[in-house]
Amino acid sequence: MTWWRESDWLTRSGLVCLAVLVLVTVVGTVFGIGGDPGAMVGPRLAPPGGEYLLGTDQLGRSMLPRLFEGIGTTLLLSTLAVLVTAVLATLLGIAAGYYGGWLGEVVMRLVEVLYSFPTIVLAILVAAVAGPGQAATMCSIILITIPLMTRVVRASAVTVAERDYVTSAVISGAGWPRILMRHLVPNLSGTIAVQGTYALSVGILVEGGLSFLGFGVQPPQSSLGALIQQGSTYLLTAPWLVIVPGIVLIVAILAINVFGDGLRDGLEPREARSLV
Amino acid sequence: MTHLLQIDDLVVDYASGGRTVRALDGAALTVEAGETVGIVGESGSGKSTLGSAIGGLLPGAAKVVNGAVRVDGDDVNALGPKRLRALRRERLGYVFQEPIGSLDPTMRVGKQVELALRGRGTKADVLPHLDRVRLKDPERVARSYPHQLSGGMAQRVAIAMAMAGGPEILIADEPTAALDSQIREEVLGVIFSLAAESGTTILWLSHDLPAVAKRCSRVVVMYGGRVVESGSASEVLAAPRHPYTAALVRAVPGELAEGERLVPIPGQPPVLDGPSRGCAFAPRCPDAHEACSADRPPLVSVAERDVLCHLAEETVGAGR
Repeated sequence: MTWWRESDWLTRSGLVCLAVLVLVTVVGTVFGIGGDPGAMVGPRLAPPGGEYLLGTDQLGRSMLPRLFEGIGTTLLLSTLAVLVTAVLATLLGIAAGYYGGWLGEVVMRLVEVLYSFPTIVLAILVAAVAGPGQAATMCSIILITIPLMTRVVRASAVTVAERDYVTSAVISGAGWPRILMRHLVPNLSGTIAVQGTYALSVGILVEGGLSFLGFGVQPPQSSLGALIQQGSTYLLTAPWLVIVPGIVLIVAILAINVFGDGLRDGLEPREARSLV
Repeated sequence: MTHLLQIDDLVVDYASGGRTVRALDGAALTVEAGETVGIVGESGSGKSTLGSAIGGLLPGAAKVVNGAVRVDGDDVNALGPKRLRALRRERLGYVFQEPIGSLDPTMRVGKQVELALRGRGTKADVLPHLDRVRLKDPERVARSYPHQLSGGMAQRVAIAMAMAGGPEILIADEPTAALDSQIREEVLGVIFSLAAESGTTILWLSHDLPAVAKRCSRVVVMYGGRVVESGSASEVLAAPRHPYTAALVRAVPGELAEGERLVPIPGQPPVLDGPSRGCAFAPRCPDAHEACSADRPPLVSVAERDVLCHLAEETVGAGR
């Protein structure tokens, strides 16, 4: 794969970290490694090692399967939300950047209104309206990641719209669906992919924050944020409850961002880079 | 009688940041089927705007203030979206300046030609179209992505795509400006021979007066958003009637004997923000008199030649 050869070690390590995280989680969940995440199996707040690899929580549930479930929930929620964001932001960005006019103005003003809300305040607002839970978490992630992505897609769409091949397509009598799907979306896909990775890391962060505040994923289901929240009560007596999901959260976000940077460098070559 | 292309008193403004710039200031042009017309003018003379206006392709910031563009009698700006699409598809072809930029980087060349053929051919018809523009190894070209082609090859592909629909009018906006000089002639040869085969009318926008005069039957000179002179290529080049054309001819290298000096045109081309009061060229014109900067020059037609100049009749009279 040419991409792999051209990427630097940082990008590769980001991708590898992410792949390992996903793989371990999938394998752990599918094969039920460590047992049932909901079952109260052992002593309360047992330290890591021995029978319970990552210890147990305050109810005696084994942390390892709960961590698998937590990573799965967090990644799944964030990924689904970001996919929705990607579709919506692409359409809105193209509407604003290619069609423009009053439609573009309306889209961009709405996006700016969303953008002006502090992240967590917006998330709490959504949770208050929709009720805490997975749906509220996803909605929050979508609303928080849409503005930036729409703006970036719009900026790219403006430049792509001016390209001669778009004009050529118009001349050859192409209707808007063909111009949209054949020319605009493929030429914006790099931008969308890069923004998608950044949105994914924001999504994970929002899930963590919202669940930590108690508006996100509700017990007994676990997520990275929920695990940290539940463990924070026992921070002094059982620090592993917080440290392990905390590290996983940091690694996931770091890996996604580093991979996103590499993706951007590969897909959107800048003049500054080509001069080096 | 309807003409193939008729542009009447076209006025186009660009609005940018609260400022209005007038790109076309009453341009008028009539083209008959089968003509090869070279539209000559410097940057900012309005020739590209004129080219875009023919296909109704003006950007959002542009506004048609006055006048009409008629293709086969259909007013381009008054057509509904459906009929405008049909007009573009069936009657117009464009070739742009930047060859690589006119091909979609995410799509194989063959696929793009196929799309340009839409409704008029299938995959099997792609190769003959690439063959027509004298591309060596059309199969390999069809499999390539645009970045794998040279500028000359990409421009041939762009020509093949523009000509795929058998347009009535081919608008070529400086099609060779981005190419090496030895490839230019080949590419121009391809354009003109293809157009001659299919009876397509060519509108070639350029700033190179002698090159245009060599290939086109008619030369149209634009200045300050207006057509200032129009006539048969050889006559315009040999005996320019408009002072601007005359100045252009004098500024061309290669036509002069050794030791003779090129005469530059003093001053800058105008940037209009409204209708020009007099003749746009008056400030730079060596022969200008009072009327030139006060009244807009009328169109003077003499002997198959249209000239937009107060002095036109005098120059005719003087036999210049």
